[in-house]
Amino acid sequence: MQSHGIPRVAATTLDKSEQARNKERKQIIQYQALERDVVDRVKAKDYSDTTFQLTSQLLTQNPEYYTIWNYRRLVLQHVSARELAADEEPSEQDAAAANKAGLPPAQHEVLLLIKEDLQFLIPLLKQYPKCYWIWNHRSWLLGTATKHLPAHSAVTLWQAELGLVSKMLGLDSRNFHGWGYRREVVLAIERLSSNGDGEKGSGSGNMVESEYAYTTKMIQSNLSNFSAWHYRSQLIPRLLSSRSADTNARQEFLNAEFELITRALYTDPYDQSLWFYHQYLMATLNPANAQALPVLEPCGRVEHARYLEREIGSVREMLEGAEDCKYIYQALLEYSGRYLEVEAEGGEVALGEMRGWLRELRGIDPLREGRWRDLERKMGL
Amino acid sequence: MDSLDNTSWDVVVTGTGLPQSLLVLSLSRSGKQILHIDRNDYYGGDEAVLSLSEAEQWVKNHGGDASERADSTYSHATISHLDAQEGGAKKLGFARAYSLALAPHLVYARSNLLPAVVSSRTHSQLEFQAVGSWFTITAPPDGSPPRSRLTRVPSGREDVFRDDSLDLRAKRSLMKFLRFVASYDEENEQQRMEQLKSLPLSVALKQHFGMNSTTAVAPLLALALPTVSEIETTVEFAVPKIARHLRSIGIFGPGFSAVLPKWGGLAEIAQVACRACAVGGGVYVLGKGVMNATRAEDAEDAEDSKLRLELTGGEKVTAQWLVGCPPDLPHTISTPIPSQASSAEYMAKNISIVSSPLTSLFPPTAEGGVIPAGAVIWVEVAGSSSPSVRILVHSSESGECPAGQCVLYASLRGDPSILDTAVQHLLESVGEQPTPKVLWRMQYRHYTETEQPRGTTTSEGVVMLQSLSTDIVLEDDVLTDVEEAWRKIMGERAEGFMKFESREGVEEDE
Repeated sequence: MQSHGIPRVAATTLDKSEQARNKERKQIIQYQALERDVVDRVKAKDYSDTTFQLTSQLLTQNPEYYTIWNYRRLVLQHVSARELAADEEPSEQDAAAANKAGLPPAQHEVLLLIKEDLQFLIPLLKQYPKCYWIWNHRSWLLGTATKHLPAHSAVTLWQAELGLVSKMLGLDSRNFHGWGYRREVVLAIERLSSNGDGEKGSGSGNMVESEYAYTTKMIQSNLSNFSAWHYRSQLIPRLLSSRSADTNARQEFLNAEFELITRALYTDPYDQSLWFYHQYLMATLNPANAQALPVLEPCGRVEHARYLEREIGSVREMLEGAEDCKYIYQALLEYSGRYLEVEAEGGEVALGEMRGWLRELRGIDPLREGRWRDLERKMGL
Repeated sequence: MDSLDNTSWDVVVTGTGLPQSLLVLSLSRSGKQILHIDRNDYYGGDEAVLSLSEAEQWVKNHGGDASERADSTYSHATISHLDAQEGGAKKLGFARAYSLALAPHLVYARSNLLPAVVSSRTHSQLEFQAVGSWFTITAPPDGSPPRSRLTRVPSGREDVFRDDSLDLRAKRSLMKFLRFVASYDEENEQQRMEQLKSLPLSVALKQHFGMNSTTAVAPLLALALPTVSEIETTVEFAVPKIARHLRSIGIFGPGFSAVLPKWGGLAEIAQVACRACAVGGGVYVLGKGVMNATRAEDAEDAEDSKLRLELTGGEKVTAQWLVGCPPDLPHTISTPIPSQASSAEYMAKNISIVSSPLTSLFPPTAEGGVIPAGAVIWVEVAGSSSPSVRILVHSSESGECPAGQCVLYASLRGDPSILDTAVQHLLESVGEQPTPKVLWRMQYRHYTETEQPRGTTTSEGVVMLQSLSTDIVLEDDVLTDVEEAWRKIMGERAEGFMKFESREGVEEDE
């Protein structure tokens, strides 16, 4: 299993003794019987609690069997619908508990169902943190909560999710399932907390500052975090508008981000995720780039040229002591190319220097010779 | 208990220190009849753990130059009670609230001991805690009293990134060196390693890695933990040690490279090992040593050719094998440690109980990570010709002292009086008001064993295990030595060293 370069001690050694093989054979027979049972029941539209328990058993053994997750949801849907449509009086106990939770009894039952299932998923998630279907089922459960329950109940569940996903990312900060899920959770909390006032920028539900701070924390504990840097880049436009940042504030912000990434690049210029972020920052200055929203205001040719000049100078200095780092040469060539388009007469770079960089690049990475030849042609070197 | 007199054994092991205990653990499922004795009335031998009252007794037995106890690794032990002078606030707890380790060791995550502890099924009886941060206290170059400044050692890329005291160039240079260290034993670095290996580390850092400031050098020296002075610490010595540290980080959790066993370190492992041997049928007797060992010249049968051992108290037993470390083996077999009165090599050691939890030395290992129970401090001594003092700090979480206090283990291959100064500098530099005080201190010397050829059978049937070094890092040699001994006893073709199935009926919590 992928472990992002962190070595794990082997859990068990392969034991092919006769005893072990017999045990395994029994397990296979039992599994196949269980599977048949579940499939038969669902075919017969048996959405009883027994069926539900059987899916639990099956999924604990094989959470990747996505059909069974679908079946489980069929059962849950069936039970929730029945609860919500219920005409019968709830028991005293149930009524009291529902009252305490501030919910009508039917909805409280649904909440309990959802909570139980979320609980069921936790050990599975710990063991299989990268199984799409587990994350998917969690998502579905919370979506069901949002649909059937009042905002105040649902948002509590979502906030617990934020805690869970932070813990998962603490265990493996490069698990992209975790990061994607985090965005979903944050969005849900913001929606549910904004109380329909529509204004996503303001209001108590706005989490952009705390999320930005979270990316800072994650980067500091592991620089090589593509997901954290990416998330940060996604947050920036909303962050600045939520702060109502003016021209000066925006300039200060951009300069601070460049300072941060430069510090990181000096620490480790061989880390590609850092260069991606540097490229993102540069892209925000490029009016022709529709993907990266501008940070500065205004942001025209003058600003673009100024930052290109500054960064080319800065990256050039990074070469000292890292002459074998191909990313530096790539960055220099890319930014120089852009610079010459923006400021054809600008003196920051000379063609001769660029040719030198390309030569170095070819020497360091001969396997990509084709790519460098294309680059040479494109840039007219 | 029946008398031991006239009993016959497969293996007699003398001394319950770590090497001997690991050996009996490895033999615990072999069905061999094992008698495990120790001339002390406590377990752990040279790695023993002592309560305060046990320490008082131990000091009585190891005080002065102990020249009449030439078989002892320790001497010149003294105790100072310092809390009596304090008005009242911080006082020592009950004697039994303390478990002070005579020989605390760092166990690196990559050490060969840990997988063995797992495969021998003893890990569930042990609790390991993180040794988290490393610090340096540097002395300014002009020889005036060191300005006590505590600096945390960056031990990886993110630490270097976050360290505000390093400018961009310094970050670059330090990372360059760390990258070299990470792959120093690979082919592409062979040439560079050859070129640099005999240079002092500090010189190599300056000339080949552009690290000019002296403040950048100390943290790297600290990671290598040399026992000699800065100028004598070579690249050849230091780089593999720094590599071991870097390669161990993250194995058991983010942000730390080494662990310490709770409740008294190596003695705890020794105890668990002995327990396993007892479960396997081994017999334990304290207060007995081997006074004499002989072998019949003209043995006629197997029984006759066994070793004849005489124990303290006069019991005569026979054994196929006798195993021990040099201080425990009779003088007819091992040469005694050279007289301590001469300038034999020793490590000056000092255990201090401190009146504060020194929380600033135990920050969490990482975001959401564990709180460590150990820290390592490297204290430079004024005048570069002296080696530095190494201090292991254990919080009360290690089980070695009550809450609100700490135990400091200081060691130096040099003048013992420097140890107290170093401890004092540490206490002044943590920035707590009032300055934490030493409540109780024990000082002693730990002698280095003269070079005994490893695991030699100096006479038939006798296996000598090397004592643990006087240093503070548990080296892989210890277990390798035990394995060699195991092989001698079990036969060259024996397999499954330290690999056991869990015993039936024994609950294993994974």
